[in-house]
Parts: sequence; structure tokens; C-alpha cells
Amino acid sequence: MSEFKLTTVEEFEAATERLLETGAKVGADSWQMRVKNQTPHCKFGESGACCKICSMGPCRITAKAPRGICGCDVHGIVGRNFLRFTAGGAATHSDHGREICHTLYETSADGNYKVKDPEKLIRIAKEWDIETEGKDIYDLAHEVAETGLMEYGKPFGHQRFLKRADKHTQEIWEREEIAPRAIDREVSCSLHMSHVGCSSKPEALVRQALRAGLSDGWGGSMMGTEFSDVLFGTPREMETEANLGVMVEENVNIVVHGHDPSLSEMICEYAEDPEMIAYAKEKGAQGITVSGVCCTSNEVAMRRGIPMAGNYLQQENVVLTGACEAIVVDVQCIFPALGPLSKCFHTKFITTSPIAQMPESEFIRFNSHTAGENAKAIVKAAIENFQNRKKELVHIPQMKQKASVGYSYEEIIRKLDGVTNSQVDDLGTTMPLVDCVKSGVLRGAVAMVGCNNPKVRPDAAHIELMKKLLKNDIILVLSGCSAQAAARAGLMDKEVIYTDIVGAGVRRVCELADIPPVLHMGSCVDISRMMILASNIAKHSGWTVSQIPLVGCAPEWMSEKAVSIGNYVVSTGIDTYLGVEPYAYGSSEVDGLLKGGIKDWVEACYTVEKDIDKLGDLMIERIEEKRVALGI
Amino acid sequence: MLLFDIVFNGNDKMYAEAEEAVNAAIAKYGEEKAVGFPETAYALAAYYAETGDKITNLKECKEGLAYIKTQMPRERRLDSVFKSGVATALAAEILEVTKYIDGDPYEGISEGAMTDAQLRELGVPLVVYDIPCVALIIHAAPSVQEAVDLVKSYQSQGNFVCLVGGIIDQLKEANYNMGFNVRVYPIGDNISCAAHAVSVASRVAMVFGNITPGDKVGLQKYHFERFRCFVNAFGPLDEKTVACGAGAIYYGFPVITNDMEYTPSVPKSLIKLADVSKFNKASLEARNIKIKVTNVDIPVAFATAFEGEIIRRGDMQVEFDGSRVDSFELVQTKELTEIEDHNIEVIGPELDEFEQGSKNGIAFVVEVAGKKMQTDFEPVFERKFHAWINGAEGVMHTGQRDMIRVRVSKDAYEAGFRAKHFGEILYAKIKGEFEAVVDKCQVKVYTDQAECTRLRHELAQASFDKRDERLSNLTDENVDVFYTCILCQAFSPSHVCIVTPERLGLCGAVSWLDAKATHELDPEGACQVVPKEGLIDENLGAYESFNEAVHKYSMGALERITMYSIMVDPMTSCGCFECICGIEPFSNGVAIANREYAGMTPLGMTFPELASMTGGGVQTPGFMGHGKHFIGSKKFMAAEGGIQRIVWMPKELKDVVADRLNATAKELYGIDNFADMIGDETITDSDPEALVAFLTEKGHPALGLDPLM
Repeated sequence: MSEFKLTTVEEFEAATERLLETGAKVGADSWQMRVKNQTPHCKFGESGACCKICSMGPCRITAKAPRGICGCDVHGIVGRNFLRFTAGGAATHSDHGREICHTLYETSADGNYKVKDPEKLIRIAKEWDIETEGKDIYDLAHEVAETGLMEYGKPFGHQRFLKRADKHTQEIWEREEIAPRAIDREVSCSLHMSHVGCSSKPEALVRQALRAGLSDGWGGSMMGTEFSDVLFGTPREMETEANLGVMVEENVNIVVHGHDPSLSEMICEYAEDPEMIAYAKEKGAQGITVSGVCCTSNEVAMRRGIPMAGNYLQQENVVLTGACEAIVVDVQCIFPALGPLSKCFHTKFITTSPIAQMPESEFIRFNSHTAGENAKAIVKAAIENFQNRKKELVHIPQMKQKASVGYSYEEIIRKLDGVTNSQVDDLGTTMPLVDCVKSGVLRGAVAMVGCNNPKVRPDAAHIELMKKLLKNDIILVLSGCSAQAAARAGLMDKEVIYTDIVGAGVRRVCELADIPPVLHMGSCVDISRMMILASNIAKHSGWTVSQIPLVGCAPEWMSEKAVSIGNYVVSTGIDTYLGVEPYAYGSSEVDGLLKGGIKDWVEACYTVEKDIDKLGDLMIERIEEKRVALGI
Repeated sequence: MLLFDIVFNGNDKMYAEAEEAVNAAIAKYGEEKAVGFPETAYALAAYYAETGDKITNLKECKEGLAYIKTQMPRERRLDSVFKSGVATALAAEILEVTKYIDGDPYEGISEGAMTDAQLRELGVPLVVYDIPCVALIIHAAPSVQEAVDLVKSYQSQGNFVCLVGGIIDQLKEANYNMGFNVRVYPIGDNISCAAHAVSVASRVAMVFGNITPGDKVGLQKYHFERFRCFVNAFGPLDEKTVACGAGAIYYGFPVITNDMEYTPSVPKSLIKLADVSKFNKASLEARNIKIKVTNVDIPVAFATAFEGEIIRRGDMQVEFDGSRVDSFELVQTKELTEIEDHNIEVIGPELDEFEQGSKNGIAFVVEVAGKKMQTDFEPVFERKFHAWINGAEGVMHTGQRDMIRVRVSKDAYEAGFRAKHFGEILYAKIKGEFEAVVDKCQVKVYTDQAECTRLRHELAQASFDKRDERLSNLTDENVDVFYTCILCQAFSPSHVCIVTPERLGLCGAVSWLDAKATHELDPEGACQVVPKEGLIDENLGAYESFNEAVHKYSMGALERITMYSIMVDPMTSCGCFECICGIEPFSNGVAIANREYAGMTPLGMTFPELASMTGGGVQTPGFMGHGKHFIGSKKFMAAEGGIQRIVWMPKELKDVVADRLNATAKELYGIDNFADMIGDETITDSDPEALVAFLTEKGHPALGLDPLM
């Protein structure tokens, strides 16, 4: 067998421990300490039974006080909270998508942003019935961008991308009245419905939560993904590395963090500029290393092979290395803690978006017109900061793994085309994958996504579940912080298939298709790619989405976005398995709907199981049940 | 039925049949009864390769079955399917060996198990892509014509085709020429015969790939990455066939079937295709094989697979025999201006004018020109004529220079083959294979007897004499560089030959001039320059530069090499070697066996057994694979005293090498007729004491030399 070895969670933790020692020396705070301070968590909040929607309360539901002041029962309260939680997530993802639409609108042949994948732009334009013939690509880009922006507020009709789904799924959305209308409308409507004196009926609230989720997954997120591809290129297979060891002690280290690739793409561009590299050398460094944290990292890794320093709960660690000249952030999932923490070191904490402004940060307002100058200024500031390093504090844990990333839907199809036979098969379909599943070579697939959450041993749930599934011939598609956990552990190194971690079926498929056993599909907005994949599998196989031996899983989820994602994944027909409870268990009715009742609507529902091993068993069981039902 | 269940059931059935056969045999002969396949040192090779254990008697068959039973898990995971597939092949092999207890069960057309000698003969053609792929065809095609067309399509690409089941009868019905020599190898009727194909693959892995018997992972990896094989299984499929297919797929050999109902498809592994005429393309694509086709404009098929074809007197239209009538073949370098490219001229009568069955003379003069052409390449091209002309279906060629014999069959003649087509073949192949140095080529085919006689004496012999002079001056000492040859690395990943003027490659196929030409043709290719630098020991032929070269080209597997010793860091073997020599301790010398020799040697081992001691790119002091030509070389184990150490070799081999051997012995030691001092199987084929007695009587010099060990 191969000499390749996974990095274990214990090794991750040992590295973190060592960094926390540095933190202790400089008096830094850490999430580990704050978790202690915040434990135990408020049970009313956690169960969703606390209502702060009006100023008569807050009302907390107990056996003695079963209704709030307005008379709303626990089911209404939990339902409203759940809907608002979803709306927060849908708004966030979709607003990210909106920013990308605006960036697309700002493209020009000689501007900061250009169209890198014109073919994809034309494909989308045609899909949207926009005339492409004889049009300048930038005129077309602006027209498509504007059409996309109208999806946020159009008065009539449903989301354009819904037509991408298989027919059966579209019919379900129609029938259940959850086909999303304008994106902003679904968010507003959610807030409206959950306002004091509006809906308190669990079915109505959950139904709207599903619709709001769909407006994200098949609306805002999908535009975020698709137009990022148009702008920065559709990801293709790319070699990179992951974990803190990607930071280079001799170099100026710039860490990009957040979600919107518009900023990080520009930073990467300027960090490669020979003029900047020369400047770094002048300042005593050997070069410039850009690495990433969180989903911005996923974006630039997928398109440029920029190494991934870590995921959500690693963000403080990059500063704790003492070797981070600048941590540059855009939006979402950024710890406000980075402000005070960076002050314990020489690190510059640079915020760039009006959406995410934080104390103790340097704010360099980024926009599409000044992006180039902004990025250059940031890179320059980082270089100039190199000399301020406190050498005695520098410690970069020397651990990293190789990773093959960049498996967009298009790239997956390209890989599948590679295992077809020109005498027999058509190109451009998911049939090779379907055939592997039909024959039993693969038992099924799991889409594993989501964040880190201190409620779960960080990364351990992701990694252990992946190992368990791979061993059982179940292939994985990943995104977000889950993908980074896999990359850091080494599961994205193609060599991993030559260990006994994977089953014979997964090994053979990966060997033939030349892919790693867990496919990095991108950032959290890119879960929209997974929706395309699932509905195309349905189209090609003749199965419905809910019949496919496929489940979703977010074992360490934490953000509102994750709930929005969960809702659109389930609404697309994919059973979803969580390792952390949504704030809904306070209501048997809401909880019952999410974990069972909605199956009657959308043919899928949630399963929550905190015992991670058991969570894995449940997924395998469900996949095998689906196989039996299909007679395969 | 689900694919997994089909495989599990087929595995159970094959296992039950094997068990029944073994039990019946035990009841008849007892457990101690020896079992085995003819002329192999690898016992039940598929089982041996998988487990590291040799099954030699019925008791071990029974133990083998008990082990196989443990390799038949029934989980709904591919691992179980793969294991069951291999278990099916191993059970089939045990079933097959029970058939051999009463002698060879395959009489008539079917050939059953392949011998080690045959297998080793496939080595060079496999590594040089002369055999691009091994195809295993199972069961009857939908029609005889489709069977014939498919086999012919593979054969005409040079592939080696193994047949199991109904297709053999179909080819028989069509009077199709089958046999090892034409690369259409009918194994037998029962699906269990597929085990013999697995055995071939397993032995290739052990012989050439140095896969340690029992290294399951290494074996699978070797097959998957290196052994180019696929299966065509005609429907209706059945459980046992699919179970065998699972084994094939496990090893990396895709299965293409026309049974559209019985199983699901698996990409690149189990491919369903109704149209048999597309099988060839689909199969090669599935195994990622690209075949370079040189289009030869002749009216008969052209492929390396026809190289071994024999044309008997009765089937012959016309013969050209250099031993009786002046004939020759020659390559000549000319100026670019002197040649009209693709000009083919027949000087003398066409074949129509020769009487059927007559003996005549012929001369092929191939004139080439190119900016990078060197006269040293002439013999390199010329030696290929044999293979090229043989490649035409219905044409046979033997010998070289002015000792050639060429036969054209009645079938080929009737198909329209004429003298000008020799020219087409030679032109197409020269341009196809040597385009890097040949810009222009024209061919003159002489059938005019007077011209053949005149040119043989005036032109050909003068050229040959000049070349011989050059060759005799080519010694290891008077050239500046040697060459590596790593052609075999496709199969034998850590083997490196170093080819010198006095030591050709162990396969016998690559001389120093060949290596030089290969290097010129493809500077990044298999033959790389090795300078002679950093002398360590002249006697051993050890240089630092040689060590560096083998280290580099064996990917670090080898550290040191000597050119002239079989005891100290000897050259490795890939497994393709023509001969193997090994120490004969009683006489203080070495015995040599050649691949064709089927008997025993005084070392107590047959050629297959001796050969299994080395190969696969490992150094085994005391054993060395080498080419026949090397036996007469002054450098043959020069560090240990040279050819005077040779005490035994098969008579046939001795006859081939005697002249050169005697000349070298005369020059080195002043001994006359040294070959006569060397023992052979007519003296003894097994008794070292009888050999020593013979050597003593002859006064063989080895007896007086320092001990080898």
C-alpha cells in the first residue's frame, strides 16, 4: 500500500495547542476560552422557545407558561424563529450573489474585472432567452447581470434557474407552493410572516422557510456561483495544498478570508506581480504567499490553486502563527475576535466590505472601480509589515497535505467523459456515475457541507464520517469548511485511494476517472453546483432526485446560511443529515415537520443525530434503502 | 438478478465444480498424487501469484480450495465482488489442473496451459508494443463471420488473441489458421480455461515485473498499470462467465460483451455493445491502447501476428532460397538527390512468370537517404526485414543478408501478392519506423537471376565484408560510450540493460548499433548514452558512470552494476532473456540453457526453473540472463575468467554458437575446438558427476580455475 498518511484530528489539535501557547504568552483571547465562558448555553434559545420579536417580551415558553403574551404557543414561536434564521441565511448568500451580479455588471475589456469564461456567459444568456448573436461580450455581460439583478426584486414570476431542475422536482415546487419568487421578496415575506401578529401556524412558517431556502439555492447562490465562474473562470482540476503548513516563514504571508472572490482574486493577482515580489525581497522576505481561510479560500483554491490555510475554526490560528502579515477579509464568518487578536501580533486585520465592518480593523473600502488599487495597497501594506514581525513569536505548524480541487459540475462531467467509450456512450452526461451506482460499484453518494462548530469536535465529524462512507463505497462531494477539513486531513490527495481508507468500489472509480474520493465542489454558495448535479443525475437516470441513493450532510454546521442551505437541499428532494440541532426541538410540531412531515411535501426531510458514528450508519442505511427501492 | 448476486453465484458454482473434481481425483489417486501444468516453474501460477504458495499435489489442491473459500465474502460491497472474481479464477485453475493428472487433456486444436518458454517468447514483443494487447475472447460470436472478422481485426493489429469456448469451433469451421505462432491461441472449451489466460498474466507479472508471489496488492497494481489485456465475452452470458469477468475487471482488464440484458454496465470495466464490429475499437479504447498503424499497401493482411506463420511446401506458390540460388537483402545509404521517394522497381519477371513450387533467387535493395542517416544504421534496418516481410499474411521469410529464404503462399498469390509488394512493405516500414533519419527511400526488387548473382558478389558481399570489419573492430574498449536500454521497463520497471559492442541486450534483440540508432531516432527514448567515466575496476567492468546510470534509470532500485561479472553486482534481467547461465559448483563453471530447451540441466533445474531464479530487474549473483550472441564474446563473465567457465549447454545452442565460441577460445586461451569440451544433454542432462567426468576427460580448463564461490 501507499506510504501516504492522513493527518489526524489529534495532530490538528496538537498543532492548535502549540499555537494557543503562543496566544497565552501574548495574552490573546481564543474561541476555545470563549466557548468555556458561554457554556452552558441557554436552553430556551437552543430549543427555539424564546421569542424576542416584540418588546412585550422576551417570552420564554415553559410548562407553566405555555404561551407568550400575545398568545403564541411554542410551535408558533419556534416556527417563526426557524423562519427568521432561514431568512438570515438566504439573505446573506443571496446578497453575496447580488454583489457578484454587480461585479459582472462592472466588467469591461480593460477594467479590473473581465469575463474569463465567455462560453458560460453565452450559455446562461441563451438559457435566459437573451439574444447573444453579434453582441459584444461585455454588452452581453451587462445585460445578463442586469437580468440577474432583476431576479432579486421582480414583481412577478419565479426564479429563472428553477427551470434547470428536473421536471418532477419543478412539479413538486409548484404543487407545494414553494417555488421561490423574487429573492428579496422571499426574505421580506419571511420577516413579514414572522412579525408580531402574523403567522403562528407551523406548516405555513416551515413552508415559507423552504421557499426562502430555495430562493437562495436556486436563486442567489446559484447566481453567485455561475457569475463567479463567468468572471473568474469555471473551476477545473487544480493541485493545491492545505493546512497551516502552507504558510511560508520566509515569505510575506497574506491570508484572505471570507466568501466573495472579487477581493481575493484581485489580491492574488497583485501578489503574483513581479514588482510586488521584488518589493517583498527588498523588504527582507523571499517572496509572497497568499493562503486562504474559509470560503474565500475555497474560491481561489478552485480557480488558482491558492493553498488553503484552514477552515472556520482555524481563522485565529493563522494569526497565532505570528507569521501573518495581513489577514484580509470580505464578508461572512469572520470572527470579530480577529481585531483584538491581531493587535497581540504585528498582523494587519484589514476589512474591506461595508457589509462586514469591525472594530480594531483597518478598513480599506473595496469596490469594482478601485479594486486594482485597493489590492495593490493591501499587498504593499502586508509587505511593509514583514519587518514588524516578532520573530520570537513565529511558529508555523509544519503540517500540510496535497489536494486536488476544482470539481465544478462542468469538471465532473469532463472527468466522467473520460471514462466513457466512444463506441458506446454519449458525452456530457452523468451516466457513467449513474452506471457505477446502478451496478453497485458505488453504493451511493453523500454531499457533505457546512461549517465547524465547537459543539462538535472540530473537523472530527467531517473526517470520520467521510472515512466511514468511503470505506463503504460511498463517494463524496464537498464544499465549504467540510471540504477544507478533508483537504487538511489529506483526503483530497489522489494517493489516498491506495490506502485502506477507501473501499474497493471508490478506489476503482477514482482510479479510472482520475479523481480523489472526495470532490471539492467549491464554497458554500457552490452547493448550488450540487443541486445541478443532482437534478441532472435525475434527468439522465430517469430517477427522481429523491430516489437517487444520495443524501446531504452537515455534521458541524453553525450559521444561518447552513439552515437556508439545508432547506433548499431538502426541498430539492435530498434527505439531509445534521450533527447539530437547529433551534427547533422546542416544538414537537416544527421539529416533527422538519424531521418527517415535510417528506410528504418534498420527498425528503432532516435527520439530526449528535452521535456522529450513528449519523454515518443512518446515512448508509438510507442509501441502501433507496437502492432496494430502486431494485438495484 | 443484481450483478453482485450473479458474481457470487458464479463463484459458488465454479468453486463447487473444482471441489468435486479435486475430491474425485483424491478418491481415485489419493492425496499425494502430484499435479501441475506442463513446462512451467510457477506451478498453478494464478494461485501462486496471489498466495505465494505452490500447489504441487492433490492435498495442496484441497488446502488451496479451503483458502479460496475464505476469499469469497458476500458483502454488498465491490471488494466482495472482486475477491469472488479472483476466487473464481483460482478455483478454475485448480479445476483445470485436475484435468492434467492423466496427461495433457488438450489434444487437437486447443492448447490449454501455456508453457513458460512460450510465455517468455512473448516478452520482447509485448514490451516493444509489437503485441499491443492480449485479447481473451470467450464463447461463440453471433455468427462465424463475425468471429472470424473480430479475431482477424485483433490479429492484424499484432494483438495476441486467446480463445475460450464456442469461438474456437467457429474458427475451426471457417478453417481459420490458429496457433501460438500466429498469435491466435485457442485455450479450450470450458469457461474454466480462462484460468490459463489468468496464469499467463500472473506469470508475466512474476517473470517480468518481479512481483513477489503472494504480493496481492503489487500483482493487482502491475496488471492494472502494465499488462495490456481485455476480455470480449459473447452472450448469452452466464454466472460463471460473469464471475470470471469480475476477476478480470479486478485486475484491470475490461470486459466487453454483446449481452445487453444480463448485467448492468460499469464504465471502462463492463461495457455492453450490441454491434460486434465495434468490439475492436471499443476494447482497445477501454484499455487505453493506441495502435500505431503503418498502412502497407498490399493485397494481403499485414501484422506482426503473422510473423510466426509457417508456409509448408504444399501451400507454396513460389520460393526464393538463398542457400541454393543467389539472393540477398541490403540497405544502402545514398545521397538525397539520387533517390526518388517511394519508387518501387521490380527488375526481372513478376511472380506470375515463375512456375508454381519453383525455387528462385531474389534480391531486395533498399536505398535510403536522409540528413541524419548514418551507414551504421544500415544493418539495423536490414535486420528488421525479416520481421517486416514475415508480417504479410501468407509470406514467410527466414535468415538474413545473403542467406535468406522467402516463400509466398498460394493464397497470398491468389489474393494478388506480387514481387512489387515486397517493395511496398519495405518502403512503408522503413519510412514508418525510421522517419527520424530517413527522408527518402526507394526499393529495387531483383528477380532477374543474372542480376541477383552479379549484385550479390559485386554489391552485397562487399558491403557485408565492410560491415563485418567494422563490427570486429567494435570492442568495448574502442568506443567512448555505451547505451542503456530500458525498453522493457513497461513490464519490468526496475530493469536496465547496459548495451556494449561486445555485450548485446539480454533479449538478443538490441546490439550496440541498435541502441545507438534507437538513441538517434528518439533522443529521449529507451536508449540513453552512458559514458565510460570514473573507473572503479577494469576487470569487473565497473564504472561510476554505470552505477549512476543504473541508479537513475532503475528509479533507484539498483545502486551498482558491473559489466563483466556474474558474481559481483551482475547485470539484471527483465525476463525476456534468450539464455540463462548459472553456476555449476562441481565443475567450477557455469551451465547455460536457452529458452527453447525443454529438458533438464546438470544444475537440477529446467530453463523455466532457472529463469524463475532471476528476472524482474533484480540482481541474483550466480545467475545471469543473456543473449545467445554474448556466449562467444570475449566479455562473457570476463571477470571470472571468461568463456572457459562454460561447462555445459544444450546441443542445439552449442551448434549455433560453436564457431564464434571456438574462435574466441582460440584467441583468448589458444584452445582449439573449445565447443567440443563443453558438455551437453547427450553427455548428461542431470548428473553433475558424469559432467565432471566428461570435463576431466576433455581436459576442460574450468576445472583448473579458482573456485567461483
